[in-house]
Amino acid sequence: MNMIFSRKALEGSAYAVVSIGGLIVFWWLAVHHNWVSSFVLPPPTDVVKAILRIVNGYMGTGLWVHFSASMSVVLMGYIIAIFLGVPLGMSMAYLPIVDRIFAPMIMTLRPIPPPAWIPLAILWFGIDHSSKVFVVFVAAIVPCLLNAYEGVRQTSPKLINAAEMLGANRWVVFSEVVLPSALPVVLTGIRISLGNAWATLVAAELVVATAGFGFLIINGYRNFEISIMAAAMFPIALIGAAMNIGFILLEKRLVPWRTEQKN
Amino acid sequence: MSNSISYRGISKKFTAKAGVVTALENYNFEIDAHEFIVIVGPSGCGKSTLLSLTAGLMSASEGQILLDNQPVTGPGPDRTVVFQDFSLFPWKTVEQNISFGLRINGVAAQERQQLMTRAIKVIGLVGFEKYFPDQLSGGMQQRVAIARAFVMRPKVLLMDEPFAALDAMNRTLMQEELVRIWSEDKPTVLFITHSVEEAIYLADRVLVMTRRPGSIKELVNVHDFSGPDSHWRHGPIDAAMARKEFQELRQQIWNSVKEEIGEQ
Repeated sequence: MNMIFSRKALEGSAYAVVSIGGLIVFWWLAVHHNWVSSFVLPPPTDVVKAILRIVNGYMGTGLWVHFSASMSVVLMGYIIAIFLGVPLGMSMAYLPIVDRIFAPMIMTLRPIPPPAWIPLAILWFGIDHSSKVFVVFVAAIVPCLLNAYEGVRQTSPKLINAAEMLGANRWVVFSEVVLPSALPVVLTGIRISLGNAWATLVAAELVVATAGFGFLIINGYRNFEISIMAAAMFPIALIGAAMNIGFILLEKRLVPWRTEQKN
Repeated sequence: MSNSISYRGISKKFTAKAGVVTALENYNFEIDAHEFIVIVGPSGCGKSTLLSLTAGLMSASEGQILLDNQPVTGPGPDRTVVFQDFSLFPWKTVEQNISFGLRINGVAAQERQQLMTRAIKVIGLVGFEKYFPDQLSGGMQQRVAIARAFVMRPKVLLMDEPFAALDAMNRTLMQEELVRIWSEDKPTVLFITHSVEEAIYLADRVLVMTRRPGSIKELVNVHDFSGPDSHWRHGPIDAAMARKEFQELRQQIWNSVKEEIGEQ
């Protein structure tokens, strides 16, 4: 168990190298042999140069400016979504009256794809941060809320009975049975929310922004700098993946009874 | 404190799609303090309903259950339950599971620790205190569930087919172990099983129930068979089963249960 590089992990990384390497080689071949015009798809080397340009300060601002612009919006919308969505979802599952009031409203609004809110959000909140925070919030609250609801609903009535038999009151049942039982499902919802938030942020930045990764893409498009467009997509992918992995590690810490294996 | 239970004219009706189902009808029974009662009967005869009513997890349609002459109105730590599927809290370790009831009932940390340490010793799980239930075998999980119930020093212990999910070997071990643990405090026990041998081995009295609506068909005093001085449960189960009286009783109870199944 102490081995960091298990055989399985090594095998996995080997496949990852083949998978990603193959994609890059195919991309290079496609441009090199003019299967696609290099105007539409710049070669990998140009994209690497463009990444360096962004890192070193494209259009006068460094990577950090775009990173913090994107991250501050995402985190703000995301955190508001968690703090409203999780308690609301839980109280809907626990209290029928809350469920009856909010469920029809949520079920009506939920099918609207979050980016559809962008124009309205700009109208309501202006073109600064707050309109994007709002759209990110709309995208992130849905999985938080639904999973919190499901997590509470899935609590085994047998475990609640077992706690009541030992003398647990309503509060103890909630804090020591319902909450820990719902926690893995709630965390999954919060993780899905993060992906949603990130995707929607980029969409919003494509429409209205003066900094951020979405802004870099749309700016590259406006200036016909195709390699910048492609280059800006890399940090988006990296940050998205890093946040997801970080979250999975956090889940393992918070839910130790789920991940520990039998000896 | 006498720890006696009395059932006074208990009926329980459920409303199902097909109409009203009567699980128990005019059920009257007295359980003496410290008695080990085992209930056998065909499936759906209301055994589990009787246990849930005693636990206070549901209420009777008619009649009253009295524990020490006080009516049962809801669940409480004076009647703990051991469930067939263990129902341990997966997010709590062995020691957290066992001390949960003590903690929420305000038992001081030091006393809690003492009781818990002793309970873990009694069930033979020393060294497994920090394990989560999913890291244990079924037999070990059921030991934890039994310790969780016993550590509360309940007046009444309710056991709903507690060993049904165990393999035959673990089942035998647990039956003998249960007698040993029970003999310390001797709470009043209401034990449900489908195994006639298990019933005869453990019980002071075996209660055979009729098919639905459940009522008492037969009440057998095991002491009449095992001898008045010493109950055979204080020896190993295979020694008990080798006795002629055990086999006679087994046959008698099995025939009684079979009649009820056959009539369906």
